Amino acid sequence: MGNVLVWIIWLLAAAGCLATGVAVVSLTNPFYSALALIGNLASLAVLFLLLSAEFLAAAQVLVYAGAVMVMFLFVVAYLGGRADAPWAGGPPLLRTAAVVAAAALLVEVVVVLGLAWGDNLTDPADVSGSFGSPGEVGELFLTDHLLAFEITSIVLLVAAVGGVVLGTTPEKEDAA
Amino acid sequence: MIAGAWVCLLSPFAGAVAITLAGQRVSRRTAGWISILTTFLAFGGALVAFFGLWATDPSDREQLSTAYTWLAAGDFEVQLQILLDTLSSTMMLIVSGVGGLIIWYSLGYMEGDDEERRYFAYMSLFVFAMLLLVQSGNFLLLLAGWGLVGLASYLLIGFWHERPEAVAAAKKAFVMNAIGDATFALGIVLLVWETGTLEYFGVFEDVGALSTTTVNLVALGLLGGAVAKSAQIPLQTWLPDAMEGPTPVSALIHAATMVTAGVYLLVRASPIFEAASDVQHLAAILGAVTLLVAGAIALVQWDIKRVIAYSTMSQIGYMFLGAGIGAYGYAIFHLMTHAFFKALLFMSAGLVIHHLGGEQDIRRMGGLRRVMPRTHVAFLVGSLALVGIPIFSGFWSKDGIISSARATGGALGWSLWAAAILGALLTGAYATRLYLTVFRGEESAFAKEHAHVGHGEGPRSMLVPVGILSVLATIGGLVVIPGVWEPFLTWIDETAESLVMPTVAEEYQISVLAVALGVAGFYVALRAFRAGRQVVTNSGVWRVLEHKLYFDELYDALAYRPAAALSVVLRRNVEEPVVERSLDEIGTGTIQVGGEVARTQSGLLRSYAIAIAFAVFVLVVVFVAVR
Amino acid sequence: MDGPDVGWYLILAAILFGIGSLGVMLRRSPLVVLLSLEIMLNAANLTLIAFARQHGSLSGQVFALAVMAVAAAEVAIGLGLIVAMARRRIVLDVDEARALRG
Repeated sequence: MGNVLVWIIWLLAAAGCLATGVAVVSLTNPFYSALALIGNLASLAVLFLLLSAEFLAAAQVLVYAGAVMVMFLFVVAYLGGRADAPWAGGPPLLRTAAVVAAAALLVEVVVVLGLAWGDNLTDPADVSGSFGSPGEVGELFLTDHLLAFEITSIVLLVAAVGGVVLGTTPEKEDAA
Repeated sequence: MIAGAWVCLLSPFAGAVAITLAGQRVSRRTAGWISILTTFLAFGGALVAFFGLWATDPSDREQLSTAYTWLAAGDFEVQLQILLDTLSSTMMLIVSGVGGLIIWYSLGYMEGDDEERRYFAYMSLFVFAMLLLVQSGNFLLLLAGWGLVGLASYLLIGFWHERPEAVAAAKKAFVMNAIGDATFALGIVLLVWETGTLEYFGVFEDVGALSTTTVNLVALGLLGGAVAKSAQIPLQTWLPDAMEGPTPVSALIHAATMVTAGVYLLVRASPIFEAASDVQHLAAILGAVTLLVAGAIALVQWDIKRVIAYSTMSQIGYMFLGAGIGAYGYAIFHLMTHAFFKALLFMSAGLVIHHLGGEQDIRRMGGLRRVMPRTHVAFLVGSLALVGIPIFSGFWSKDGIISSARATGGALGWSLWAAAILGALLTGAYATRLYLTVFRGEESAFAKEHAHVGHGEGPRSMLVPVGILSVLATIGGLVVIPGVWEPFLTWIDETAESLVMPTVAEEYQISVLAVALGVAGFYVALRAFRAGRQVVTNSGVWRVLEHKLYFDELYDALAYRPAAALSVVLRRNVEEPVVERSLDEIGTGTIQVGGEVARTQSGLLRSYAIAIAFAVFVLVVVFVAVR
Repeated sequence: MDGPDVGWYLILAAILFGIGSLGVMLRRSPLVVLLSLEIMLNAANLTLIAFARQHGSLSGQVFALAVMAVAAAEVAIGLGLIVAMARRRIVLDVDEARALRG
């Protein structure tokens, strides 16, 4: 019974991911695209939970959906009509090439996965109940992956500074 | 005494370097004196070496002195070495002695010229190069000296480089000598191949072991070089043109020393030539032909220097004849006496030219006996020596060669003798013609107008050397009096033993005959002069002789025209389309390729993204495949 | 583990990645490009977490968290750029930015 439930939840979440993903890419109104992305993030959070990554699921919802997407929506609102994004063209060669590239990547990954499935992708490891808990993740951050932790914080600092710089009012002579 | 030899060699070199480095900081006269003094210092060194050698035991008279190993490749080594033996010491004395006198003379002759310093530097360079040639102990150093004298000759012929004729003459001399240099070098290469050494002694020891073909080829190669350098037929056309250079240059290089280098080579390499006797006889035959042809051509020349040049060519023919039959002692003896009287003739001619303000055409001269008495005497002495009148120096040496030809006997000996005797007749004729036309008869209108009256015949620096050479031309032959004493011949014999020695009786018989023919030639020319006509009256013969037997035209058609045509064809079909165009195309091609490549930089961000995606695809494939 | 094998999560992530890359390569509005970029990043995160579960190692989740942080930073800058473009009255079209043209 539990297995079936998990499967159903998985299928729903997966469908949600895919549907919202396609929506993000194809809608012409960026506001709707952003909302679709929020949905995508929520579906992903469900999938994270299924994979015993509780902390990460929470972080995803709080940080990504909560903060980052709100930023997006703010900007869309600021831009107003200028943000409209019709499906404008571009050289047809470009469009074909894009599709081909994406398809190639996809096919390639699927093939590799298929080749490795039998050996590597069955029998996941047994994990304790605290796998994916904030405590354990935090412990790793501060011991094995301290460098990553610190560098990430520097990246965030740079982004903050950059954001401020970009947001400065242009000088008077900088008229368009 | 070896030190004397080194001083002899290096002192002119030091002089040349000093003049070059000093440049404008020394006056022109000072440059001249540097050159003169270093050359006389060389003569002093040669004297020391000579007397030192004389005092040594005859068995010990081959002294080899090595400075250092010049190049070494495996077993093959070439040293920077000089050889002091009887032959080289004699040559050293001649070169440095006569050279010193001529350079002293040029102090006066070249005065007032803009580029005197360059002249004296070149002259010292030449003396050094000639000494290197005669003093070297191996064939490679000989070739080095050989090439350097060719270079000095080129530089000095073309000394007045604003004159296109001089430049052309210099090029012609150099190119023709290059032909000889090439055969010489090939001969040397063959020597190295077969014997593995280039030292004289090493080669001469191994000569017997070489095959006939090898020896013949080597000898031919050496002969080719000798023929070119000594202006014998068929490589003789450069010598008359070389008269474009200043007269002292003609005296030193094209009479006394450089052109005799071929004779020196024939004597020095006599073991090789004796092993290749056919080639040696060929040398004699070429000498005989040249002496006749040159003597004939001298009868129709109007330029005073060219007459003397053809006379040089003819006399060297005598030396080749002598060396070709193995009369080495007499050949070198004639080389020495010829250096004296030919330099004397050139220098006297130079006095005449100087006096007449540069005029060289003998038709404009005449009766100069009264205006230039001392020059007249000098010129007369030189002419008498040239014709071979006893007791002047030429008599002893030339008759020695002629009698050696007789003593050789056989078909070769008799035909050579005939040619040599006939040559005596021609010599008498052209020498007399020249003397009479320039110095005797009525004073020409030109001479009266243009003579530099009032300051004598010339400065002392010109007259004293001429005087010294006059004395030498008179008594210089007295070192060989057949039957009485022959120290010169014995001296040279130690290095190159003569193959043939005429008896005393033969010598005197031949002498009588030769002098008689010389006097006969004198009379022929005298009668022609008195009758107001030339010796050669037949217009056909005149034309052929005037064109120097059409050798220049022949070489022009055979060598120059095809080469010029070929170069035009090559330029049009190879150099322009292939070389030049390809260089241009490299430039335009690169720009084009760059343009094509630049098209990928479209600026479209999306295309970049697509490119990255494809790249990732490829990378993943690579990673997976490698695993 | 209940439910699908880890492999299925990976395939889902791959499809999401493809969708996101299509969006990056095909759309002209920088906003939509940025959103598609987010999808790609999230797909990568999913992959990381799936592997973390497969191997029982939390390093994957740590990496995913770092990715999230970096993505947030990048979005901030990207949006800042878009706002700056809008302020300077530049048309919001990726194809217009041709300054890299060689």
